[in-house]
Amino acid sequence: MSPALIAALPFLGAVLPALLIRTGRSHAALAAGAVSGLALLGLLLHLPAALAGQVITAKFDWLPWLGLNANFMIDGLGMLFATLILGIGLLIILYARFYLSNQDPVGQFYTYLLLFQGAMVGIVLSDNILLLLIFWELTSLSSFLLIGYWKHLPEGRQGARMALTVTGLGGLSMIAGMLILGNIAGSYDISQILLAKEAIQSSDLYLPALILILGGAFTKSAQFPFHFWLPHAMAAPTPVSAYLHSATMVKAGLFLMARLWPVLAGTPEWFYIVATTGLITMLIAAKIAIFKDDLKALLAFSTVSHLGLVTFLLGLGTKVGAVAAVFHIINHASFKAALFMSAGIVDHEAHTRDLKRLGGLRHLMPITATIATIAALSMAGIPLFNGFLSKEMMLEEAAHTAWLGSPYVVPVLAAIAALFSATYSFRFIAHGFFGPVRDDYPHKPHDPPFGMWASPAFLATLVVLIGVMPITFAGPFVQMAANAVVGGDLHMHPIKHWHGVTPALIISGIAVVGGLILLASFKPLKAAWEATPRPEAKAIFDWIVGACGAAADWITATLHNGSMARYLTLFTIGSVAAGFWAFSGGGLGPETREMLPITPVALVGWVMLVTASASVVAFHHNRILALVLIGIVGLIVSICFIYLSAPDLALTQISVEVVTAVLMLLALNFLPKRTKRGAGPLKHVWHIAIAVVTGLGTGGLIYTLMMRDFAFETMSKYHLVNSHTLGGGDNVVNVILVDFRGYDTYGEVTVLGIAALVIFALTEALLNGASSKKLIAWRPDVPRAGDKHPIMLLVGTRVMMPIALLVGVFIFLRGHNLPGGGFIAGLVVSIALVMQYMASGFAWTQARQKVYYHVLIGLGVLAAGITGIGAWFNGVPFLTSDYGYVKLPGLEKFELATAAGFDLGVFLGVVGSVLLALGGLSRLARRAAVGAEPVHAHIIAEKPEARSPEQPGAFPPETLLPQRWAQARGYTSARQDDADTKPVKAKKTKPTEAEEQ
Amino acid sequence: MTSADFSAVLPEFLLALFAMAALLGAVYTGKDKTAGALLWITVAVMVLFGVWIGLGGGADGAAFDGLFISDAFSRFAKVAILLSAAAVLAMSSDYLNRRGMLRFEYPILITLSVIGMMMMVSSGDLIALYMGLELQSLSLYVVAAMRRDSAKSSEAGLKYFVLGSLSSGMLLYGASMVYGFAGTTRFDGIITVIEAGHLPVGVLFGMVFMLVGLAFKVSAVPFHMWTPDVYEGSPTPVTAFFATAPKMAAMALIARLAFDAFGHVPGEWGQVIAALALASMFVGSIAAIGQRNIKRLMAYSSIGHMGFALLGLTAGTEAGVQATLLYMTIYVAMNVGTFAFILSMERDGQPVTDITSLNMYAKKEPTKALAMLVLLFSLAGVPPMLGFFAKFAVLNAALQSGYTYLVIAGVVASVIGAFYYLRIVYFMYFGEEGEGVETRMQPVQLGLLVASALVMVLGALSLFGLEGAAQAAAAALVQ
Repeated sequence: MSPALIAALPFLGAVLPALLIRTGRSHAALAAGAVSGLALLGLLLHLPAALAGQVITAKFDWLPWLGLNANFMIDGLGMLFATLILGIGLLIILYARFYLSNQDPVGQFYTYLLLFQGAMVGIVLSDNILLLLIFWELTSLSSFLLIGYWKHLPEGRQGARMALTVTGLGGLSMIAGMLILGNIAGSYDISQILLAKEAIQSSDLYLPALILILGGAFTKSAQFPFHFWLPHAMAAPTPVSAYLHSATMVKAGLFLMARLWPVLAGTPEWFYIVATTGLITMLIAAKIAIFKDDLKALLAFSTVSHLGLVTFLLGLGTKVGAVAAVFHIINHASFKAALFMSAGIVDHEAHTRDLKRLGGLRHLMPITATIATIAALSMAGIPLFNGFLSKEMMLEEAAHTAWLGSPYVVPVLAAIAALFSATYSFRFIAHGFFGPVRDDYPHKPHDPPFGMWASPAFLATLVVLIGVMPITFAGPFVQMAANAVVGGDLHMHPIKHWHGVTPALIISGIAVVGGLILLASFKPLKAAWEATPRPEAKAIFDWIVGACGAAADWITATLHNGSMARYLTLFTIGSVAAGFWAFSGGGLGPETREMLPITPVALVGWVMLVTASASVVAFHHNRILALVLIGIVGLIVSICFIYLSAPDLALTQISVEVVTAVLMLLALNFLPKRTKRGAGPLKHVWHIAIAVVTGLGTGGLIYTLMMRDFAFETMSKYHLVNSHTLGGGDNVVNVILVDFRGYDTYGEVTVLGIAALVIFALTEALLNGASSKKLIAWRPDVPRAGDKHPIMLLVGTRVMMPIALLVGVFIFLRGHNLPGGGFIAGLVVSIALVMQYMASGFAWTQARQKVYYHVLIGLGVLAAGITGIGAWFNGVPFLTSDYGYVKLPGLEKFELATAAGFDLGVFLGVVGSVLLALGGLSRLARRAAVGAEPVHAHIIAEKPEARSPEQPGAFPPETLLPQRWAQARGYTSARQDDADTKPVKAKKTKPTEAEEQ
Repeated sequence: MTSADFSAVLPEFLLALFAMAALLGAVYTGKDKTAGALLWITVAVMVLFGVWIGLGGGADGAAFDGLFISDAFSRFAKVAILLSAAAVLAMSSDYLNRRGMLRFEYPILITLSVIGMMMMVSSGDLIALYMGLELQSLSLYVVAAMRRDSAKSSEAGLKYFVLGSLSSGMLLYGASMVYGFAGTTRFDGIITVIEAGHLPVGVLFGMVFMLVGLAFKVSAVPFHMWTPDVYEGSPTPVTAFFATAPKMAAMALIARLAFDAFGHVPGEWGQVIAALALASMFVGSIAAIGQRNIKRLMAYSSIGHMGFALLGLTAGTEAGVQATLLYMTIYVAMNVGTFAFILSMERDGQPVTDITSLNMYAKKEPTKALAMLVLLFSLAGVPPMLGFFAKFAVLNAALQSGYTYLVIAGVVASVIGAFYYLRIVYFMYFGEEGEGVETRMQPVQLGLLVASALVMVLGALSLFGLEGAAQAAAAALVQ
């Protein structure tokens, strides 16, 4: 049978119990047994070949781009483990059939068990470390399901979670180690990796890879300091404990160490990490096991201790150690599974596993007692049982091992561990089966049916047979597996009982005698043990998990406190760091440009700019002041443009400054005059530091870049050269706007219009509902001047109006060749109109101009668009401009460019947008004024018919829309909620203001 | 506009026409009453386009003087974007409908952002890059704040907008510097400049700042701050969308920019991306531990996953790009399933996001719980789920490029990260009895959940040629 099929059989067969459970529990068990049996049979057919040292392989390409091949192989080591897994699996299936009660979902149990079995067989037969990893994690998953099988028990859940956390995370860490290993060896196939010992051990990455792989192995095999999960997983049903936690899963870690032994072992790192861990685990777990009253807990810790023993043997890195390790794996699997099943029988029959409530069982259940005694004596290391042989080999090795130069450390610790081991083994028998029969068992125990004790009995027989005739029953197997571990050339000494009086024998004797003495003085020892405080692994685990959680929470709370300021701080720091990285990473060439001379004018401007900017930061709490300071900054920038000979930009800048300042002033009217004071002084310092570093970084970057030539000539030159010939204008900026980059401008005008419409729509929304009430209740927080429309301002703006309009037209017309253009002209005209609004009030002005701003914006976009489309008729692409010279009678020849039409569109768009935004804001102002002034006398005087008869005293309909528009569309929005807000204005005692005019 | 140009850009063009027609159609007919039908039409159109592009729709080649590049790489990313967007739309229909949030703008905005993403992955020029990015971002800003009556949603939208603008500013700043010192905005021009001589420091600065801007879009640490708040605050369907298509697009864009424009200095951007990847993997893993809100948890999860995907790019090799593409595809597939589940979580008709509400969920709904178990294990990168292969591929690629310690750090981060996924599994299977959660699912939601889980399991057997497509895509990108 192909090795792949052997591994796949349990997976394929896993559906059978689930299906057959409807026909009865025995059928489900039978199906599971048949599947395991078939797989075992297939495996054993390869036994002769494996004994002869051959390797049977099966290779499939799976995901070749990842290096993942589904390669399986059966060598000596795989053969040994697979036999153990499938053989003990069969016994467990039989045992579980009788152990589980009628209420338990048996079909599910067998399905999980087969899945687990398949995963385990997969691990030991994989010839690819990725494949091995996959099976490895599959064991974690299926064991998670098995451990949590009894969901109603809280310990079961706890245990399942802990087991999954520890082994799952360990397995993940192994991925990195395997990756590194595969990369060093150049292949992920184990058979290839095993050939690359030199490369691996001489690699710099040997140690990281070793630690990561051992992380996986140690967690799986419950080695110190990860030993705590195994006892807690023992809440699972006994068949699970017997199978997973003694015979198979926990041995996966040992298997991995044995599998990679040829390439990883033999270095000091390996010795000190692996052997030391094994020794510590062996000692600590044995000590804890002595004092456990729960039969399964005792066995669990003894399992940990024995796993430590094997780890220690593998860690020695010697061939004899490897042989002993393999031998002990076989022995431990046999006696420990038997012990677990015996404990399960006791639990099943007496309904308790507490050693304090047991005793005398040998009279009541003699068969079970015999089996348990044989297995326990083997565990104690008594001659004629198999445990003695391998323990002897271990002690022999330990006796010859020096640790950090000291020859005593290892033998002494090993001896103590052996002594402890004997103690708990004796206690298991003495307190469980010997002593007088009690009359207070929770349930009267007797021997179970044959089916239940058959499995442990079989194992106990093996214990004796191997113990008595090791060469016959275990020799070839050990030879075969050990050969595979050490990589071939092994000349094993035959296993025998008598080597003469060796240090190992002396230690063994001391251990047995010491164990008996300790058992005799158990009561005081136990009292002392319970009196001494000791670290509880589970508590430590919970504490670590809790502390990690708290630390994570702290990090999260610090990083993500929901504050925008914090986010921006992090963002800024990140950007600055990236900038500094780039700065330090790239080689700066020499400076290729001269600094311009610093004139007094420039210096004064610079000082003002810096002062004004710093003042904005310092005084931003006072918003009006901040606005003034921002105005100064804008002014200096405009002057800067003039100073650097860019009059167009200066003109544009200054008009934009004026318009935005006015609009912001209007908006500020409704906002608190001061911003809240936020952060404390310490935070201020921190923020200032960040701001300074960021500012200096940006400034430095600009300086650095400006002092060097760009890689290529800039676009400016092209524009300067071609502005006249291609665009027909000498004002390069304007030509860029309307010609070279006409498409951009077209988009911008549209966007500007959309923005104005959005402002309009937003303020419209504010006039409804809650915000309307808020507006009506709003009171200005600073007293207003008595004179609402000062006469000086009135007269001034009236006089200026025609002049400003004329200037606008002039700027528009000269724009193509001299500083100016549609954009600036639009702003200038807007400013002139805005001034009228400011001087005389919105409604007054509105009544005198008949233009609908929405239409104005639309016309602007349309004009620009039509100009662009016009180009198509000329046979050129959209927006290509043309120009010509026209001579009209009575005038000089002048240039006419299509761009002028486009510019007109820009002009209209700008005017419409600015005024629409203004209109939106002023509607808010008037709504707010409803509360402050009972009646807008001047409006009523203007348009008496505007007063709605249904709502006496109410505000007239939307004055932003010309009346005829509003009426035609029945426009009454924003008015509906006025009726119920009128009481507010009834309180007003302020005298009605006189009409302005 | 020559016909060759046109045929390259045909899918985007048609999709844009569809979006505009849908907008006008809905405005002039039933408005929100048409939303349901419109949503399903959009889903159908996206699937159709996805299949069409996947089967070779639209011509390959550089169009509009290299502004727009259609190749195997863009094709791969576009198919993933379209299909994932369609899946998310389809599964959010019920949620939106029942909570009165199904507006006709929603599918249109999603379509527009998808067009933006398609432009992003096809951009061959800094200006085209920026245009696509902004089309995508602006649509996303709006959908993030779609629930206008919810303060959280509005806050999320505003935060996203402000930080997004900042990042766009950084990107533009970088782009202008690249332009200033390379003299061109075209990727192939930039790469010629770098190839010809040394790397001008201005270009280096520009590159770094552009990466900063793009890092924001994939929510790589330290430019990730918006992610948890936006994921939590946005309506769940929007969160699901954020977690899928835009991530794919932004990652593909980083790859596009890195290889097409700066392909000759992989060491330079490799270090930046490595730093981002490292920080993302750890912050994503560590910060998720304390989360109780599953949407917030998924936000950190996405941060961590982006770190891993960036790890593949760090490698700077064809294998690395292939790994990243596969990683993103698998990540998107996992998220579709996970969010199909999250969308259905409710109690008394109100959405629930607390993970403790999943206590003992397996008892109530064993099938859905099993599907979630598979997905969560896959997200954690536990073999044999597909998520493991994704993780393995990027780690492998990074290792082969010599980033050993980064790989080890990545594994450590994934170990930390696995903890919180496993905790949800633990809640579902072994939690305390308590107030549970109902998961009412439409057939399409259930279908996507189960399909996603099945893909995670069966994908381990065969990727159905996905790796070949990813390799072709990577080969097209890395010359």
